Amino acid sequence: MIADDDLPPEDPAAALRLIDEQRATAARQLEPDPRAYYWPWGVAWLIGFGLHFLYYSPGDAALVEMPSWLPLTTLFVLLAAAGAVTATVGTRAYGQVAGESARRGAWYGWSWGLGYLTLFVLAGRLSDSLPPELVGLLWSALAVGLTGILHMAGGAIWLDRTLFLLGVWITVVNLLGTIAGPGWHALVVAVAGGGGMLLAGLLGWLRRRDWQ
Amino acid sequence: MTELDPVIHAQARLRVVASLSALPDCDQVAFPRLQEILGMTAGNLSVHLRRLEEAGYVAVTKTHRGRTPATLIALTRRGRLAFEEYTEAIRALLAPADTKETP
Repeated sequence: MIADDDLPPEDPAAALRLIDEQRATAARQLEPDPRAYYWPWGVAWLIGFGLHFLYYSPGDAALVEMPSWLPLTTLFVLLAAAGAVTATVGTRAYGQVAGESARRGAWYGWSWGLGYLTLFVLAGRLSDSLPPELVGLLWSALAVGLTGILHMAGGAIWLDRTLFLLGVWITVVNLLGTIAGPGWHALVVAVAGGGGMLLAGLLGWLRRRDWQ
Repeated sequence: MTELDPVIHAQARLRVVASLSALPDCDQVAFPRLQEILGMTAGNLSVHLRRLEEAGYVAVTKTHRGRTPATLIALTRRGRLAFEEYTEAIRALLAPADTKETP
């Protein structure tokens, strides 16, 4: 059994091929598929914030009639599902790697957790004293803004251009939506934000296919 | 022509070293995960890892994750250098004839 694979590669070309194939296989198994990372979030934003726009539309009446609990429930269910997919895929790829990458990942995870805790406490305190249409904007603008900044930070940590540019894009889209006001914010975040995530997943996947 | 490093110049160990070289510096991979990436049996992989460890190319760390023991594997600086030199040597062999001696 050992005797066979103890032999040297047949010739230099075979050796080089073996090196390239093995490095690609290892990289594929150690890096999660970008589609699994970005697409669930893109879909969640597209549908979740899309329903918000249709129900809490700019102007007085809803564009589409639906039960009042539907938009927020859909958004939370889809975000939770996206979180579950990311956690599963991430554990699969990074679970059995130790060292500096694991520490970067853990600290980055803590940044997300503490960031959202801050957001919940702050927005929770302010919600009671704001008019209802601004409460929704406060929560979603803070959450989307924090997501954009953390994507930029992630891009800086891993020198990942796609992640960094997605963070910049989300931040800009969030600022424009916030200036445009309630209703419009949901539309911009759904289409440009969610669409940006879908595009990031596609670009990441294409790049990964290229170098394999 | 320089001799190719005999420790790496064996298909199985070349695959082990190539896989480990795909990890970022300062990262280690758990034994079962490496086994899965390579598709080798545990016994076979152990034999090759021991050989690489003796050459100083691979560092094997025994540790605990909670209460379960874990074996973590990484390329040493020396191992990474040896792999790079081996790859260079292979590329040189494949390069056009003008770099080689002519009669």
